[in-house]
Amino acid sequence: MKDDLFFNIDHGYLEGLCRGFKSGILKAPDYHNLVQCETLEDLRLHLHSTDYGSFLANEASPLTVNVIDDRLRDKLVQEFQHLRNASYEPLSTFLDYITYAYMIDNIVLLITGTLHQRAIGDLLPRCHPLGTFEQLGAITIADTPAQLYSAVLVDTPLAPYFIDCISEHDLDEMNVEIIRSTLYKAYLDDFFKFCKDLGGVTADVMCEILAFEADRRAFMITINSFDTGLTQDERAKLYPTCGHLHPDGLAELRRADSYEAVKEEYKLLFEGAGSSTGDKTIEDKFFEHEVKLNMNAFLRQFHFGIFYAYLKLKEQENRNIIWIAECIAQRHRSRIDNYIPIFP
Amino acid sequence: MSTIFRSEEMTLCQLFLQPEAAYSCISELGELGIVQFRDLNPNVNAFQRKFVNEVRRCEEMGRKLRFLETEIKKDSLPIYDPEDNPEAPKPREMIDLEATFEKLDHELKEINTNADALKRNFSELTELKHNLSMTQLFFNDARPSDQDIMPTREMEIVTSGQPLKLGFITGVIPRERMLAFERMLWRVCRGNVFLKQAEIPEQVEDPITNEKVYKTVFVIFFQGEQLKNRVQKICEGFRANIYPCPENPQERRELAMGVMTRLEDLSVVLHQTQEHRQRVLAATSRNLRTWQIKVRKIKAIYHTMNMFNNDVARKCLIAECWAPVTELDRIQLALRKGT
Repeated sequence: MKDDLFFNIDHGYLEGLCRGFKSGILKAPDYHNLVQCETLEDLRLHLHSTDYGSFLANEASPLTVNVIDDRLRDKLVQEFQHLRNASYEPLSTFLDYITYAYMIDNIVLLITGTLHQRAIGDLLPRCHPLGTFEQLGAITIADTPAQLYSAVLVDTPLAPYFIDCISEHDLDEMNVEIIRSTLYKAYLDDFFKFCKDLGGVTADVMCEILAFEADRRAFMITINSFDTGLTQDERAKLYPTCGHLHPDGLAELRRADSYEAVKEEYKLLFEGAGSSTGDKTIEDKFFEHEVKLNMNAFLRQFHFGIFYAYLKLKEQENRNIIWIAECIAQRHRSRIDNYIPIFP
Repeated sequence: MSTIFRSEEMTLCQLFLQPEAAYSCISELGELGIVQFRDLNPNVNAFQRKFVNEVRRCEEMGRKLRFLETEIKKDSLPIYDPEDNPEAPKPREMIDLEATFEKLDHELKEINTNADALKRNFSELTELKHNLSMTQLFFNDARPSDQDIMPTREMEIVTSGQPLKLGFITGVIPRERMLAFERMLWRVCRGNVFLKQAEIPEQVEDPITNEKVYKTVFVIFFQGEQLKNRVQKICEGFRANIYPCPENPQERRELAMGVMTRLEDLSVVLHQTQEHRQRVLAATSRNLRTWQIKVRKIKAIYHTMNMFNNDVARKCLIAECWAPVTELDRIQLALRKGT
């Protein structure tokens, strides 16, 4: 009740704005037209007539897929930052939580880049703009996770997530992935708790979406760790606990040693997902389910879930556009229809 | 009677146009501004229409004009508005316009790259100059304590009698990053480095972003290779510009003199480049608005022609439009003028 009466005072403008943005998401006829484009110039011409408008208008003539990718991301970042700048508590904390995921990605990107001897000047422009923070550039000085924490991350919002990762091992490839998964697990559990504390419709919608995200991470970690040297116990530490699989499903996943054993839960998703190139992969099925959950978020009013859902849907749309653009640019049109449709 | 309802009696007309004459007819009708065309190809995609290449060329020209306009605005030059209404140029003239824009675009880009390189050099030297003058103050402060055996707060020299050799790094960093930078230094080096800073009073143009920002000069004293590496990495991470500073005061003075002379030379060259750029832009600004109007008219004509139905059998373009009944004479006159 409180949601319905008082939500619009602080957040009504932003919810209206967000729903407006959502109605500009490309629909099936748009994708149909995009798929028929012969060149990237045609793509630009068609996007001109959608909500994207003239976002590519000032780019010089031979367009590349990288340029399109950058401009798409810039547009999304601009919209998100407007939403964040105009928001009140607790929406602003909610939107900050969303940016922590990008911070984790940026940190891992920088550490991996440093391991491969790349210069910091090359790596910093490749970081996601939504996940930047002041100390980001100084990550390269750390040799061990303990140093990383005590020097760099302790002042950032990610500090509490890092407690589990502190160790004296050197930062190398394997460890970096483990750090990413541990950070993400702590972040997801924290975000889930925050949403639950918010209560009301936000809790309903967001907890559903985050539970799916947690389960999906658990699956992907299990599947990706089959050939690496990760033991079952180490793997179990990386599973986020806020999903539907907790605790029984996670225990089974822990014991799983092959792809077949993983299929027990979420049977419906796995049906039809083969590993041959003709079928959709399991990742595609996960994306489809995620899109469905995100679209459902918009069916309810007066909650913060629409902001999260909008961001994710827009990212999926960007991935679709880039997929189509790549297929056009490389003239490999056989799988051009493998984008994930958002509006059915 | 219709005047009571503030509406006009309209009629739906069909025009049969020769492809060669279509352009000028549409131009004349456009000047009148009393007809509205119907889209006879609603199922065709934007990029599959007949005149899509011409529309693309117009968009490319529009892009170049926008670029020229931003450059003119950057230099705060006035743009002259044309008093009369330029007509849409013929298709042949479009090629001339394209060539002109291409030339201007190319020239301006060249001037810009040269000016950027020079400006970057200039800003670096300015920062270096500030750097040298500020560090002069630091070392002057430190000088008397060099000889003392009493530890002062300036340089943490151990009282074992010999002053320890401290290495140092000098550089320049934007003011807003100074606090985070200091904190990071303190954390990483566990308080074993000494930082002194002084703010540069006037705004300096940053070499990389070409914006005027407030900056601070800092000097960090440390001991040992490990600390030096860490300090260097932090400086890189915060994108502070590090400048080499000789320890010897004499060398510093010589370097400062050299920097001053180079700065003077550079400013002369920079001035000349700016003048050249101003001349090019001034010449452009006189014609800019006219060109913009012309390009928009061409684009509008081709957009309209995209809506026509191409009848291959009778080799003509068929157009459907709404027009007020009372204006039919004017329309006929315009069509006759166009052919």
